[in-house]
Amino acid sequence: MAKLPLEGVRIADFTWVWAGPYCTLQLAHLGADVIRIETRTRPCVTRMLPPWPEGKPGLNRSGYFNQYNQGKRSLTLNYAKPGALEVARRLVETSDIATSNFAAGVMEKLGLGYEELRKLKPDLIMISLSGYGDTGPYREYVAYGPAQVPLAGLSSLTGYKGWPPMHTGFSYADPNAGVHGAFAVLAALYHRKKTGEGQYIDMSQWECAMGLLPEGILEYTMNGREPARDGNRDPLIAPHGVFPSKDRFENTSIMVDMWVSIVAADDAEFERLAGAIGHPELARDPRFNSAAARKRNEDELDAAVSAWTAQRSAAEAERILQAAGVAAAICAPNKFVSEDPHLKERGYWVYLDHPEVGVRQHCGIPWRMSRTEGEVRAPAPLIGQHTDEVLTQVLGYSAAEVARLRAAGALE
Amino acid sequence: MAGALSGLKVVELGEMVSAPYAAKLMADMGAEVIKIERPGVGDRARTRGPFPGGQAHPEKSGLYLYLNTNKFGVTLDVSRPEGFGLLERLIAGADVLIHNVAPPDMDRIGLSFERVRSRNPRLVMSSITPWGLSGPKREWRAEDLTLWSASGLCYVNGGGPDHPEMPPLKAFGQQSGFQGGVHAAVATMGAVFAQMRDGEGQHVDVSIYESLASQTELFFEFWPYMGMVASRLGQKPIQPLEVMECRDGYIYVCCIEEHQWRNFVELMGSPPWASEEIFSDRLKRGANWDALKVFLEDWIKQQSVLDLYRKAQARRIPFAPVSTMGDLLSSEHLKKRGFFVEITHPVAGTHKYPGAPLKYQRTPWEIRRPAPTLGQHNEEIFGARLGLNAARIEELRRTAVL
Repeated sequence: MAKLPLEGVRIADFTWVWAGPYCTLQLAHLGADVIRIETRTRPCVTRMLPPWPEGKPGLNRSGYFNQYNQGKRSLTLNYAKPGALEVARRLVETSDIATSNFAAGVMEKLGLGYEELRKLKPDLIMISLSGYGDTGPYREYVAYGPAQVPLAGLSSLTGYKGWPPMHTGFSYADPNAGVHGAFAVLAALYHRKKTGEGQYIDMSQWECAMGLLPEGILEYTMNGREPARDGNRDPLIAPHGVFPSKDRFENTSIMVDMWVSIVAADDAEFERLAGAIGHPELARDPRFNSAAARKRNEDELDAAVSAWTAQRSAAEAERILQAAGVAAAICAPNKFVSEDPHLKERGYWVYLDHPEVGVRQHCGIPWRMSRTEGEVRAPAPLIGQHTDEVLTQVLGYSAAEVARLRAAGALE
Repeated sequence: MAGALSGLKVVELGEMVSAPYAAKLMADMGAEVIKIERPGVGDRARTRGPFPGGQAHPEKSGLYLYLNTNKFGVTLDVSRPEGFGLLERLIAGADVLIHNVAPPDMDRIGLSFERVRSRNPRLVMSSITPWGLSGPKREWRAEDLTLWSASGLCYVNGGGPDHPEMPPLKAFGQQSGFQGGVHAAVATMGAVFAQMRDGEGQHVDVSIYESLASQTELFFEFWPYMGMVASRLGQKPIQPLEVMECRDGYIYVCCIEEHQWRNFVELMGSPPWASEEIFSDRLKRGANWDALKVFLEDWIKQQSVLDLYRKAQARRIPFAPVSTMGDLLSSEHLKKRGFFVEITHPVAGTHKYPGAPLKYQRTPWEIRRPAPTLGQHNEEIFGARLGLNAARIEELRRTAVL
């Protein structure tokens, strides 16, 4: 078995919450040794959010944290105590990459700014994934991923026709910044491999998210128009929507209603759709026999498709339409993603035994590599699980020094 | 100064968003990208717009122009033997082949890792497909919406508990394609490192479905941890995290850490309701959102967006306005950072585009050339690079191979 691509690359990971940890998760997937620097004085927010088994909170029990920190190590430090900062600095000295996602100036105030750290490690690559970036009038503004979604313009474009702006439903700006950050770090590593030079990368979650909206931004810069929200519809293609099905079931306190998304991208696919729903004549109907006609008569078309989907389960509609070669997929609740035989057969899921929550299903690596096939090597760390291991084995502290640091409260 | 990926040679066989975006990320950082399009029609993104003046034109589509900056563009019908032969000659000199040809079409044209490896054993081949290259859904049809839907991301967004009649809702645009593209860029760079170390290539199989399922925040894990379906019809775990209406627009109200909520309560003048036990921590505020919402709406509708944004930020509360496109283009912060870039294209003219997703200290992100016109670099690549003479190029063009 070939070594993993980033085997031997160490990351001093000062990030927290979701954007930064999603960045370093990608790098861990590629084989990097990611050491998260945490503190018990202000534990990572995702350790304190649900879901928890049996609904019982606990710093090591959250599925949120345990999902996005698989394969990493955890070291705890309290910078307010003597010796803690020195541990962080020594860790950077032995690392290739340092990551953070605080607002501008925070790492500098701690004495862990890039200019300081590069004195310890001249070819260090450092990335900051802040909300607003390191320059500009709002550089010290605080940000959380959920707020950067509307800030970036996504909410003013997302929502039902005639309704107020809506969110994306999840904190999209976080993983988006994280995965772009991972790519940026890899590009900087490529440059370092060729030239020996490290460097600093300034990422703004806000800017990174705006790169996902070229259609909205260019409609404005080319034509001076703000695009109107239009639900699940597409400017050119119809049908393009999410349609109701007949099945629903109860789970805890909510009714789980099932829907199916359907797109017929061109005339040929529409003809297959029309046949599959038992109305082949629709493909020749002048209201629907071209993309432009279907778009003009989209309400009628959606009504015809809905009348068919509403009589069956979402899974049945999906199966019939896929068999006919039509792009259809259920709007999957988590349960259905969890049980999808496709993901099972591809070996996507990770089942590792975690000391506090046991074996749970976690999302795995979204790619396969034919030669350097990776795997998630360890469950998410308990808080501070690797403090002693990192101090003695990586940084060369003696057991007595570790004991002294602990007594001083530096390893909290 | 050259970009970080200067020296990396990439061939892209891409349509619409995923593979083109992966290759754009690389091209904008200095990689040499040769993009292959179908003769005559080109990339489907050329039909998507937006178009200046609303007039469709294959050289003026905003989506295409954005996704293909810094690339060389050639036309080639790889479904024909002469065309595939030229593709093999192009990849013989490349580090990476990145494509989003769907599996049934890969089979039809004979695009496989074994075949390309025989021409270049160092080659990294990255296949971005909707469902991945294996599994029962390998050949399923997919579009951007259906992937967002299958992954679980639609199901957690929509009109909320008061509007069960409104369907699960996608995010604007072509987000599945963007996420497939950027995850593929990460995996591809991993394979490039292994290539530099070992001198050997490999096949990277990127599933857009899995890229999306991997980022469902805390929602996926509610099932394996608690047996709970996370739904747009349920309560959010914590509150407030909502778009809310001010007297002059919308703001995003966001309190995640407890001190942020305490500061917000102070900003509202510490009203008596805020000390109710049912609002005393973020989980309780999530469970009692119906009651909390009424109080907050009442106060927020009297505020102005920018004033509340500034006041909240002064107290370290991470609120943000709901920006329109116009707000973004006129933002002083983004101007100071030089985010938007002006690009002049020979047919589409000069427009402002989203710029660098991040800023490198040493290696610049820069626009060296606009997106190619269809087949713009055929002579340069097939003639100067591969050594085909003018008569042969003309013949291939006449027979629609180019």
